[in-house]
Amino acid sequence: MKILLIEDEKELCRSIETYLKQENYLCESALTFGDALEKVSMYVYDCIVVDITLPDGNGLDIIRAMKENKTETGIIIISAKNSLDDKIIGLDIGADDYLTKPFHLSELNARIKSIIRRRNFGGSNEIILNEIHILPDQMQVMIDGNEIILTKKEFDLLIFFISNQNRVLTKEAIAEHLWGEEMDMADSFDFIYTHIKNLRKKMLEKGGHDYINTIYGMGYKFVIE
Amino acid sequence: MKLLTRISINYIAFSFIAFVIGGIFFSNVIRTIFYAQIDDNLRTEKLLIEEQINYSDSLPDFRLVFGHLIEVTVFNAPRKAREAIKDTLLFDKSTSELVPYRQLIAKNTSLQKRGYLIRICMPLGETDRLITTIIIALTLLFLVLLALLIYVNYFISRSVWNPFYRTLESLTQYDISQTTPLILHNTKISEFKQLNKTLDQMSKKLQQDYRSLKEFNENASHEIQTPLAIIKSKLELLIQNEALKEDEMRIINSVYEATNRMSRLNQGLLLISKIDNNQFPVAEKINLQQLIEKNLEHFEELIALKKLKVTVALSEMIEPEMNRTLAEILISNLLSNAIRHNVEEGNITVRLEAGQLIISNTGHALTSAPDELFERFRKSDRNSESAGLGLAIVKRILNIYHFPIVYTVNGQIHQMKLSFR
Repeated sequence: MKILLIEDEKELCRSIETYLKQENYLCESALTFGDALEKVSMYVYDCIVVDITLPDGNGLDIIRAMKENKTETGIIIISAKNSLDDKIIGLDIGADDYLTKPFHLSELNARIKSIIRRRNFGGSNEIILNEIHILPDQMQVMIDGNEIILTKKEFDLLIFFISNQNRVLTKEAIAEHLWGEEMDMADSFDFIYTHIKNLRKKMLEKGGHDYINTIYGMGYKFVIE
Repeated sequence: MKLLTRISINYIAFSFIAFVIGGIFFSNVIRTIFYAQIDDNLRTEKLLIEEQINYSDSLPDFRLVFGHLIEVTVFNAPRKAREAIKDTLLFDKSTSELVPYRQLIAKNTSLQKRGYLIRICMPLGETDRLITTIIIALTLLFLVLLALLIYVNYFISRSVWNPFYRTLESLTQYDISQTTPLILHNTKISEFKQLNKTLDQMSKKLQQDYRSLKEFNENASHEIQTPLAIIKSKLELLIQNEALKEDEMRIINSVYEATNRMSRLNQGLLLISKIDNNQFPVAEKINLQQLIEKNLEHFEELIALKKLKVTVALSEMIEPEMNRTLAEILISNLLSNAIRHNVEEGNITVRLEAGQLIISNTGHALTSAPDELFERFRKSDRNSESAGLGLAIVKRILNIYHFPIVYTVNGQIHQMKLSFR
């Protein structure tokens, strides 16, 4: 899996790169508009993550250039501007997703995974992890062939965990993933606990393993040995 | 008190004082002149009588000649020459009352060495009446003149102060948060010119400062975002380290939580400055009913957690023209406020009626005035987790559209009433 990261803020770029490399992605980065344009025209990526505001150009123009070449690359926009217009334009010209800075690395990772999954399996996308078998489009989860019924939030939570397996997911990242940014975090922590408890219980009932570990008040970790 | 009223009152007061003093002085002058005239007449008569006494040594009967009282008494012994004029009161038989007279008494010795005394009394009634008439006539004339002067003065003042009033009106209508500059009318009076010039400079400076302050707020919030994003991302990388011990993890967790809080705070401030800078211009008809229902669904779990009882009455169709993003933030903030500051097993009522959105909820009594909570960083201290920006944002959004909001607290019941008219 090859990913191009276009982000002018060097340190942020390095953080994202480190996180994604640990996911065994081949991750390249471009700090400028020119550099990015050169890279997307020379190489093929599975996914690009592009910041809209670059010092020497607009990230949207990179997307436009790529779309002219009928690329199959998945595109995620990241932008500091929490502006609806940017979001609409970005999605309109062919971006797959939009993330507002500051975001959680785990969130970006989950979004990339989701895009790559959809692209690679061309609709018939499924996730198989030991005894767990998930059909994301049908929202179906089976453990050893037995279906378990999850609520929408529990399902989202499971996918988020699996996308970031063996990673510590902070409560904030989970809350933001499930409820969006506008929900005040402190309120949502109690529900996270409830949802995780229910998810764990449902999976254990059907003979699944207990994958979800608690990490010292910081968050949770979905551990696959 | 209005300026023109004040001027007129002062004018009338000073005119009155001047009139009273002037009047007293004037009547005294008139009286003196008239009395001098009378005294002259008295002396002339006296001389005539003396002449008669000296040259003819007879006493004519003057009593009725001059229409006033004349008495001459003759003595055998000589008298010392002496003359005095004074006011006196004499008894009038026909009207049976005392009447004022001017009286001359002169004593002397005639050529025939006989003493004599002349007493002439002139009635003052006529003269006093004349003086009174003159004074009344003059008073009337003066009053008419005064009224005319006040009237003229009022109109002159009004036209002189007109530039001042126009400047005042421009200032009243001036709103620093709007982009329209302060427009002052030209005037030929140099003081007002100077006033307008100073005001003009001040308003320009104010507007410039206001703009740069707003820009500073937005730029600062923007600039803070990047380092925050870096800190957050580095912390997220750090916590993936398996070798971290529990106490280390707890420290990182505290840092992480504080960073998140700061990040939320910063986003709130950024939103406020964006609202202030008018960055949400596009407006459309917003269906409040749908928006409220969507938000209540969003807060479903929060409501369930606090075991709140939600009553809605959203049958009335209210569709204000607003920016969609702002409308969503508005409703979301109001509802989350009603939920967050509620008590366990409390109530929330959301109603749309008579063009108003009324959200009332149970909650703790406030320690400060309700209106203060619309200010930035103001919070009812019970819930220090929140940044204290929610209601400030609500207020800013409503300010754009001039929709009034009234926050009342009646014991444990808090009520927000928004009017969309």
